[in-house]
Amino acid sequence: MIGVMLIEIRHLSKSYDMKTVLDDIDLSVRRGSIMGLLGPNGAGKTTLISILTGVIGKDGGDIAIGGFDLDREPGRIQAMCSYVPQALAFYTRLSAYENLEYFGSLWGLKGRRLKERMDFCIDAGSLQAFVHKRVDTYSGGMKRRLNLAIGLLNEPEILYLDEPTVGVDTQSRNYILETIRKINRERRTTIVYTSHYMDEIEQVSDEIAVIDEGRIVLHDEKQAILTRADAVMIRVERMGEDAAEALQRREGVRIETDRIHIRGDGQFSDNMAAVFALLRDLGIRVEDVVFGHRNLEELFLKLTNDRLRDGS
Amino acid sequence: MTKSFYTLKKEFLLITRDVHAVAVLFVMPAVFIMIMSLAMRDLFDLHQSVSIDVLAVNRDAGKKSEAFLKALEGLSAFRFHRLAKEATAERAREAMSSQNVKFALIVNENFSSSVEKEDKGNKGKKPLELLVDPSVNVQTQMVLRSALDGKLARLKGDAFIDRIGEFLEAAGIDRKTLEVSEESQVEVRYVYKGERSVKVPSAVQQSVPAWLVFSMFFIVIPLSNTFISERGQGTLMRLQSMNVSRLALITGKMVPYLLINAIQVILMIGIGVSVVPFFGGTALTLGDSLFGLILIAFSVSFCAIALALLIASIAGTSEQATTIGGVLNIIFGALGGIMVPTFVMPGFMQDLSILSPMSWGLEGFLDIFLRSGGASDVLPESLSLFIFGGVMLMLTMIRLRRAKEV
Repeated sequence: MIGVMLIEIRHLSKSYDMKTVLDDIDLSVRRGSIMGLLGPNGAGKTTLISILTGVIGKDGGDIAIGGFDLDREPGRIQAMCSYVPQALAFYTRLSAYENLEYFGSLWGLKGRRLKERMDFCIDAGSLQAFVHKRVDTYSGGMKRRLNLAIGLLNEPEILYLDEPTVGVDTQSRNYILETIRKINRERRTTIVYTSHYMDEIEQVSDEIAVIDEGRIVLHDEKQAILTRADAVMIRVERMGEDAAEALQRREGVRIETDRIHIRGDGQFSDNMAAVFALLRDLGIRVEDVVFGHRNLEELFLKLTNDRLRDGS
Repeated sequence: MTKSFYTLKKEFLLITRDVHAVAVLFVMPAVFIMIMSLAMRDLFDLHQSVSIDVLAVNRDAGKKSEAFLKALEGLSAFRFHRLAKEATAERAREAMSSQNVKFALIVNENFSSSVEKEDKGNKGKKPLELLVDPSVNVQTQMVLRSALDGKLARLKGDAFIDRIGEFLEAAGIDRKTLEVSEESQVEVRYVYKGERSVKVPSAVQQSVPAWLVFSMFFIVIPLSNTFISERGQGTLMRLQSMNVSRLALITGKMVPYLLINAIQVILMIGIGVSVVPFFGGTALTLGDSLFGLILIAFSVSFCAIALALLIASIAGTSEQATTIGGVLNIIFGALGGIMVPTFVMPGFMQDLSILSPMSWGLEGFLDIFLRSGGASDVLPESLSLFIFGGVMLMLTMIRLRRAKEV
């Protein structure tokens, strides 16, 4: 089924207090894909997801999800989606079990079906050991996992994840990313994923959209984006001053402590050959070579003009 | 049904696990009711029958002294406790101290003879001696002295009539026309604003409904805390993304808090009926109309929750909601006769008190508890509360709709 558009957005616009937040957005998401939605603070990511989930209204444009028009059949669309907000959207004075029970009941689940879905979500969030403990005793990682688990209760066709790994430890972050991939792989769930972490987007996404100042400035397959510039990062054991000086002189090569970044421009092949020759001549050991590393981040900064954004 | 059940369960768990909410909703009014019912007992009892303890020593062997004491014992304002005939003044003083009694009356040996003889002025030993604790205020002392003088005068009057009985008979005068009635010839009527307030509540009758209404309006604190947390933490967004309508959100908040208010009503009335008397206060009387009680309780609850929802939807933070709600409640309480009963307020303040929805609720409860009113009697207050609550709810819906638009 991959390839069929599940979400289609045409000419979407939204303003708050005379300020344009979304400006003539066109965007499509394929069924069964994971779309990484990147954007600086205040770019319009949360507003876009809030409109798609029916939480707020839009000013103009058309949105069709799963063949349903959002204006005409918001209820049917909401029933097939689930939204995991950036904030920890549950009740901290309740246990994970009580939270799942409550949110499950709001999805219309009851009896055995409710219990089955709760068990699945407890398992998906790896919350078995703490499920009857009050959530305000949980670590940040456990709370994030519960936030995600609640979003899985209704077996959504589309899962909107807004910064799902903010403020968690590496283990929980990896667990969450793995769970997301697993859900997408096993259940063909379409996922729209926003994050500030480029490496996460690189890890989980099939396609990437960059939004800035209310406009989609880039939308393509992840591989197409990552290979567009063919950039390479080479990590060495120890960078000597001589090597650094010699490498810095080459256009398209940048040194950062023990890392050499080679830009994917017209001199890419020459630069690659020259760098490896120099490293061999100076006896510098190469520890790692990563293709495309930081390319996304560099591209993101370039697309968003590299300036600070303090908006929300 | 499942949704409603788990929504109720969620709200109950949230409240019962919030120590501050439990304290505000249940402990605060219970403590206030206890303290105010007991502390204000005497103040309110100025309008009720008072009962002053008096020790009595009868050293007189005559019949008149016994008749005098019997007459005094018939007064509801006093409780006479007899000491032994031979008790000295010193013994009476000791008994006053040990029994914490403020008065001791000594009927001297010459009492009967002084009553039976013609009054020759204040010569010799007085027939009555009153020992008074210095801490007793003059007004209370005067009440007892007036009673003693009154009974003594009556006794002397009767003795005089006995003495001139033959002359009265000869003159054809019925001695009964000269006797003074035992019943008080003075009818006391308190004057209040409005025609319906014809009775004064006892301390417990004032305290229970007053602090109950006050605490019901304090539902604003837990309700707004939950609501604002839901909004701030993104839970409201999640609920809205789950196709939970604004009406369902509002109803989901109202129903559990209506039940919590109902529990408050039952508990506070229970305290008034059972606990306050246990500590020496008078018991709350419930009136005759259960339906009227339910109607006024439901109206107050609806109004309080609607107001709380509006505050919660307007306030940006829990602190703001607590401050706005708390201050508003205190103003409503002060104005509405919760802290100071309306009947002791000056006229213009009584006029102002009708601006407070708490006063409508309080008057409704007093209609039931004090005036033995029914549902029809509390209907005006209930309607006012429903209209006020309805306006608050409409404003809340408008506020939530605007929040969705932006």
